[in-house]
Order: sequence, then structure tokens, then C-alpha cells
Amino acid sequence: MNTCVGSSTLHTTNLIKSSTVPSPSSQRIAITGAGIVSPLGTGWLANEQSLAADRMAFRPVELFDTRELIAKTAGVVDLPAENLFHRVPAHKQTFIDRGTRMLLVAIREALAQAGRQNMEGIDAMVIGTSAGAMPLGESYFEHAHQEAGRVPSQLSRAEHYQPQRQMSSIAAEFDWRGPIIIVSNACASGANAIGWGTEMIRSGRAKRVIAGGYDALARLVFAGFDSLHALAPSGIPRPFDAQRDGLALGEGAAVMLLEAEDARQSAALGDVSGYATATDLHHLTQPDPAGKAAIRTMTTACVQAGITPDQIGYINSHGTGTPFNDVAEASAIAAWAGDAVAGIPVSSTKSAMGHLLGGAGAVEAVICLMALQGQWLPASLNVREVDPAVRFDLVRQFRRSALDYALTNSFGFGGTNATLVLQRRSA
Amino acid sequence: MNASHIRIRGVGAVSSAGWNAAAMHAAVLAGTPLPSTPSARPGDLRSWPCESRFAPASPPEKIARHPRLRRSSAITRYTVAAAVEALADAGYDPAVPPPGLGILFVMMNGCVNYTGRFYHEVLQNPAQASPLIFPETVFNAPASHLASFLGVDGAVSTLVGSPNSIMEALSTAAFWISSGIVKDCLLIAAEECDWLSAEALTYYHPKLIASEGAGALVLSASGDGPRVSEIIGPLSYLTWQERCERLPELAAQTFAQFQGPATLINDRTGITKLDHAEADAWKGRTWDAVLSPKYVLGESMGASSALQLVLGTLAVRQTQQPVVISMPGSNTAAYACVLTP
Repeated sequence: MNTCVGSSTLHTTNLIKSSTVPSPSSQRIAITGAGIVSPLGTGWLANEQSLAADRMAFRPVELFDTRELIAKTAGVVDLPAENLFHRVPAHKQTFIDRGTRMLLVAIREALAQAGRQNMEGIDAMVIGTSAGAMPLGESYFEHAHQEAGRVPSQLSRAEHYQPQRQMSSIAAEFDWRGPIIIVSNACASGANAIGWGTEMIRSGRAKRVIAGGYDALARLVFAGFDSLHALAPSGIPRPFDAQRDGLALGEGAAVMLLEAEDARQSAALGDVSGYATATDLHHLTQPDPAGKAAIRTMTTACVQAGITPDQIGYINSHGTGTPFNDVAEASAIAAWAGDAVAGIPVSSTKSAMGHLLGGAGAVEAVICLMALQGQWLPASLNVREVDPAVRFDLVRQFRRSALDYALTNSFGFGGTNATLVLQRRSA
Repeated sequence: MNASHIRIRGVGAVSSAGWNAAAMHAAVLAGTPLPSTPSARPGDLRSWPCESRFAPASPPEKIARHPRLRRSSAITRYTVAAAVEALADAGYDPAVPPPGLGILFVMMNGCVNYTGRFYHEVLQNPAQASPLIFPETVFNAPASHLASFLGVDGAVSTLVGSPNSIMEALSTAAFWISSGIVKDCLLIAAEECDWLSAEALTYYHPKLIASEGAGALVLSASGDGPRVSEIIGPLSYLTWQERCERLPELAAQTFAQFQGPATLINDRTGITKLDHAEADAWKGRTWDAVLSPKYVLGESMGASSALQLVLGTLAVRQTQQPVVISMPGSNTAAYACVLTP
């Protein structure tokens, strides 16, 4: 068992299996580019400005009919009006999913930030998504139900419903050929994809990986969360508020360009210094009340990063705003951090943009990178009375802060928990 | 990619041939396509033929009992049955899985039955769409149910993609094992068939017959079992034409990896238009045997490459000779692998 866990070791040792705790990694994974598209804006700068202004981005959903649903608002992305896919024929443009468009914008930003025009030299693309191109599947279903005969356009719907086909459209934009790996662990998909990318580099299978996640709003998914009564009726999520009543959905995409330090070709913005994943067996959709799997992922990711909880300068929590999630995560953070908990700043940026599902972990990881770069902390908005389970420093307004490490949690349906630890690169 | 330190200690399968790997092996060795049945459409309003090869009804002894499995869909039942068989085949008691077990799950379509059913409810009246069904539509529901059934609380992950994405999962399993993240890894791919996916295949070719099932492998760095001695690929492509051009390269790279007698397990469907590029690529060698599971079992989509790997394992055990598995894929990349005793 590693000894780097610090004061929280006593709290968590019995929850960790020694076989699953790695040694601190000697392989440095640099982040040399990042791209982000969220309801708060397109690009790093727009998101940074929105977070600095404590701005929210919820508005009525017009992508599909919400009249019969409880919730009617979400964090909606304003996509650029121009044609984004220059190599897709006009008659195929309609089969490029909204989420795929967001992802392409994010990839272009990440590549530009690393000084690249294309994906040459990128060994793999690892992308997390929960719903993939669900609207294409919905459209396929509706046509199949309405038509007794063969509908020629159904072939394109069936083909483009497959997430790998959507990703192949992005690859074609760059005339790039390489492995496309799609991780789908529900709301942890984006974080798992970044973790998967780091593992590809650590294992020597890749030197350079584009990794991230995306999801666009889809009628089936929106109705699904609505059916579970998981959505806040007011449309305003209040993570860590004592009277919180649900989450708001959102959409977006984010990616990081990850490079092995010994093969790095661009300036490093930071490092992914820790990653861990574990499974919560409590229930398909509800977390274990004590957050045992989250304790394990936070502990293991910090061990891999070679740090103790008191060195974490910011946690971007999963923080959905649902009653079960927030109390479980707050309990897990307290158990993991031990005596250090009161000094750890925590917020949920889902309070501003909603829950981006498969894109959440990646978008929130990029926000952590932005926080490390800018030395600031984004806020948990809309909190009226802090939940008594909260023992950490809940950030309720944007603030400046010195930090070297940021941690982000992602918990998904099915019990997938993932934690990433990001490290600042000194100038 | 390198997974040569990995042994396939156990295998399990559910397919249109039955609820165990031996039934699939026997059917594929026999080489005769299994009977197909019309894929029923709600309202029976289809104007063209659409056939499927479904997995037969579950034998009573294959019905796993667990609270999570009471309302799970077919894909989860296939997954659990194949995993239990693979663990037992590896010498483990499925009721007490080995500590440090990880799960990597691969699919293409996923939980289509519940997804179609839930979306139908949404279209009818979203205010009454069932909250019990929605969670079962999520891609990683089968892996989650399996993890709960086995009590696996460590690394569990689901990939969505072409069937041969299982080779990326296999490479990651090899890393997980070598780095100590897990001790053993269950590598599984599964698919369930419904009328929507069966119809979708007929748009690719009218004679393409949908199937379903699951293939499971227990991977370990220790113990006995065939070795994953070579993974060739990915050889990526963006178009069908490019795919056809890359397959000879896939075969040439594979031929360079071994000599002597071997068995080929290919991706042949029995439809020349779909098969000819792969057939041309691999014809430059004499094979002791050529097995075509898709031709016999049907197109099981996300499960198909896993079933090839299960079949390959059984073939290595039986012949004690190398087995080459061809996984040309359809829309992203081609892979092959060599299994050796």
C-alpha cells in the first residue's frame, strides 16, 4: 500500500484494495491543448468570462417538444451558424449529429491551442459519450414506425446513429486515420475517456491522444430524466443546497490534447497527474449513500498523482443537484479528505450550465485546467442554504485563488465513478 | 499493440446456436447456416422480407437470479450467462469471482429493446413514460448489471463502436493486468436483436440476417490457455473503398507474424458483395481450416468479434495450432489477431 495518502489513509484504507492502488506514476502526461463548447459559450475565453461573471445559461428547450414534461429548460449550446464540416457532402450534412458538431469545434480549438492545423501525429482519439447520436436513432425509429415500405434514407440514419461513424466524420475533416475509441459509461464517460487516453500513453500504445467527451440534448434522454423526476421543476439546479430538488440537463463537448512528456511537441498547459475509476454497486441509478466508490477513486487518483488531499486546491464536484448525489459526494469528500476537508474549495459548475452527461467529465476537466491556468475558482450558484452534509469550503462566488492541483469527480448511471487530478504547470 | 503476455483462461458464449460456447463451436464446425425466422414488426406492416436468427430460449439452468436481473433485457441475460460460463471455464467459481477482477464490455447497438420501447412511450405520452425502463436504455447498463451480479467494484468500462473495438478493449485489458489495476479481466461483447436492428441490416444488404448473443473471455497474465500472440491493426479507413484497399495490408502484416499450419476465422457473411475484399486478402495462404461464424450464426453486430475470439480459443485448444482471426470491420478500422497455444 502506498504511503502517500496522508491523513485520510486511516479513513479509507479499508475501502481500498491494495491490488487496485497504483504507485505514483513516473510517466508525465502533458495537456498541450484544450477545447470547450458549453452552454456558457464556445471556446476557452467565452467560458472563462461566463464563469468569472457567475453567469447561468438555462433557457427553454426548442429542439423538441417539452409541453408534456415537468422540466422545460436546459443548458443549450449556440452552435456556430456556418457549415462546420467541409468534407461532408451537402446531402449528408443532415446526418451529422449536433453533438458531433460541438465536438469538432472543441477539437479544432484544442489543436489550435497546441499550434496544430490538423491531427497529424495524433495516435488515437478517445471520446466519451452517453447518448451518442441519439437524435439520429430517434429519427430512424419514427420513420420505421410510420412507413411500411423501405425508406432509402434509413440506411444513412442507421449508419450515422453509430457514434463511431460520427467520429469518422470528424476524422475525415482532418484526413486522419487512427483508432477511434468510444467510451460510454454514462455520466462518467468524458472523464473515463481522458483517463483511457492517459492509460494509452502510460502503456506505450500512444504518444499523443485527443481525449474528451460530448453529448447533445436528445428527446429520449430528456424525457428519461424527466420520468425519473431527476430534473429540477424550476429549471434551476442548486447543487449542495439543503432544499435542492434536481438537476438541469445541458449539452456540450470538450477535449484535451494529451502528450507523453518525452514526446511533447507543444507547450504544456498542465498535466493529468492522476486518474482512477471504480464501480458503485449500490443501485443502477442511485449512489451508495457513503460514496464508497468515490472515496476509492479520489484516493487512488491522488496516490497516482503523488499528493495528499490537503494539496488539492479545488474540486469540481459531480454535484448534480439531486438529493442523493450531493449528500453522497459530500460524505465521500469528507471521508477522503479527513482533517483537510474544511480547507478544500469545492463547487459544481453544473449549477451554471447543467449536467452535460457524457460531456460533463471532459468539460469539467477543462474547467479545472482553466482554473489552474487562471488561478481562480468557479462558483456553485443558486445555493440558498448549504446542506448540512457539506463540510468543505463551498465556493459560492467566483474567486481568485492560488492552486497547484485540481480534482474533478464524475459519477454515472450504472455506478461508474471516475476521478481525474490535474496539475498546474509553472510558467 | 502488444498483449502477448495475456492468456485466455476461459470462454463463454450465447449465440443463435445455443447458450454455451460448445454449441456455437459445433454449429460453426458443421458449417450450415442456422434456420432463420421472420423478424416480427409491430402491426406486421413491413413490405419486404426481414429475417433474424435469435438466440434460443434460455435453458432454466442459465437463468441467473439476482435483483438487478429481474427486468433486465436480453443483452444483459446473454452477458451474464456468457460471463458465468467463462469464469467457470477458467476454473473460478462464478459465485465467488476472483478478487481484482475487472470488466471491459463492448457493444454496437446496445439495449435496443428497451430503448425502442421507451421512445415509443415518449412519443405516445412522455408524461407516462416508464422510469423503470429508461435506465435500462443506457449503454453501460449490461456491464453495470454484470458487475453487480458478480460483485465487481473495481474497473468496469463499456466501449461502443464497431465489433472489432474489442481489440482496443483487449489491449487496455492487457495494460490493466500488467499495471496491477486488475488481476484478471472479463472481456465481453454482447448484442440483442430487435425488429429495428434487423431491418437496419437489410438496408446494408437485403440478405443480411441479424443475430444476437454474447462472447466472454477471461484474460489473465497467469494460468493456462491460448495466448494472444499478435494484434494487427488498427488499419483505419474512412470509406468502404479504402477498407477494401487496406485488407491485403492487414493480411500481409498477419502472414509475417507466423509460419506453419493454422486455422482462419473470418468475417464472411455468405454475401459476395460484402465478402469479396476480405476473401481476396486472405487467399494467399493455405489454411488447415476456415471457419465463418457469421455465415452460420448470422450478423450479431457488436458481439461478432467476441464470438470469433471465443471460437478461436476453442479452435486453438482443439488443434494446438495457431488461429488467425480476421476482423475487417465496416466503418472505421480493420484488425486481425493471432492466437497460439
